[in-house]
Amino acid sequence: MALFEIRSLRKQFNDHQVLKGVDLDVMEGEVKVVMGPSGCGKSTLLRCLNRLVEPCAGSIRFRGEEVTGSGVNVRALRQQIGFLFQQFALYRHLTVLDNTTLALRKLKGMKKQDAAERALHELDRLDMAGHAHKHPAHLSGGQKQRVALARALAMDPAVILLDEPTSALDPVMAREVAQLIRKLHSERVTMLCVTHDVEFASAIAERVTFLNQGLVQAEERLCVLQNNHEHPAIREFFMTEKRTP
Amino acid sequence: MRFSETLLQLSSGVGYTALVTVTCCATALAVGLFTAAIRRVFPLPGIVRVIDLFTFVFRSVPVLVLLFLVYFGLPEAGIRISPLVAMMCSLGIIAGAYLCEVFRGALDAVDATEIMAAQAMGLSRRQVFVHIELPQMLRFSVPGMVNEFTNVLKYSPFAYTVGIPEITKQALALSAATLHGVEIYLATGILYFLVYRLLLVGVRQLEHRFQVPGIGAAHLQEQSI
Repeated sequence: MALFEIRSLRKQFNDHQVLKGVDLDVMEGEVKVVMGPSGCGKSTLLRCLNRLVEPCAGSIRFRGEEVTGSGVNVRALRQQIGFLFQQFALYRHLTVLDNTTLALRKLKGMKKQDAAERALHELDRLDMAGHAHKHPAHLSGGQKQRVALARALAMDPAVILLDEPTSALDPVMAREVAQLIRKLHSERVTMLCVTHDVEFASAIAERVTFLNQGLVQAEERLCVLQNNHEHPAIREFFMTEKRTP
Repeated sequence: MRFSETLLQLSSGVGYTALVTVTCCATALAVGLFTAAIRRVFPLPGIVRVIDLFTFVFRSVPVLVLLFLVYFGLPEAGIRISPLVAMMCSLGIIAGAYLCEVFRGALDAVDATEIMAAQAMGLSRRQVFVHIELPQMLRFSVPGMVNEFTNVLKYSPFAYTVGIPEITKQALALSAATLHGVEIYLATGILYFLVYRLLLVGVRQLEHRFQVPGIGAAHLQEQSI
């Protein structure tokens, strides 16, 4: 069953048209990877899905329900969609545990003790329970991304959107995050990930959706896209990525 | 008259100086927080314009002029207020206008991605302000707040003009009676310095209590190590 059905999605910032009619489906339990060059609209697409950015036209159906337009309870929608930012976005003034429990207490109305138990369970799942009382400043990039993932998972979301989750990490930490995503995929967690990191994409999914200049250009196996694809933009993207150390 | 006796006589005004400073600082904090919060949570053009006008006007009016306007002007309109309330309505509100600007700058220092992350989780605008922006803003604002509270202490001698017997009022009376001006005003300066130190110790203790790695002074110390 499709969790997200996106049809003819358009978004314009002033005169700049970022999304020009994107069609995309995200199935339950799937890890969907969207790749494309910088500025192609990957992050805007993700932000349209939880209404952090308002789409100009088109349709987004989440679990069969239309979520664009004015009559939608946006906060309730967001509670069902986890979001991971490339810069981790952990709250600097809160400990790892408080970062993970904040939304549980304020949105789900859980008591402090119950929220802590739930948060520790998720932190433990990602090997971060031992760091529960540290502040983000004392964590490495990989650890911060784990905490951000635990914070998202604690809300028990239907899907997690990952916006360039490895772009601020070194290759070793990026591999760590890829392992984590594979583990979550095996537990049937649905994820939609945008990235331009080919190694990371190949580690988490076989098929990739290629976005270019606001349009879905191809949806193929990664190896097909990498091997001298007929579309010049795709060919150029993968050639550039190969050259990038 | 010995110097220690002068100090002792003047110290009867310390309590009033502390009272004026604390009440005006509390007023400033309330006014600054309220205006900065409203401006941030409801950034409608009309609201922003009114708050910007408030800070502009009150930052440009001299404390003494506003104090006289409030204390001697309001009774003509049938409103009688005590000297302490007059100080709060003049010095407190002017300091609040300055603090509003301090808080505005500190709010801009809060990472926009953190705010977006909180909104992406489903927190309301008010919840994001209370749980994410406010705690960080207060920590970022400590140096600016200390400056403003120090200014409040330094402007507190205006209280003598409306009859509050604080340190400067005591000094004036003693100087008129004994004609030992240098000795008396030296002692006055020492007393203000002691009150300032006390204020600073209190603020530092609060700062230490709420210190968080990665934010403010602690962050800079870590970086220098």
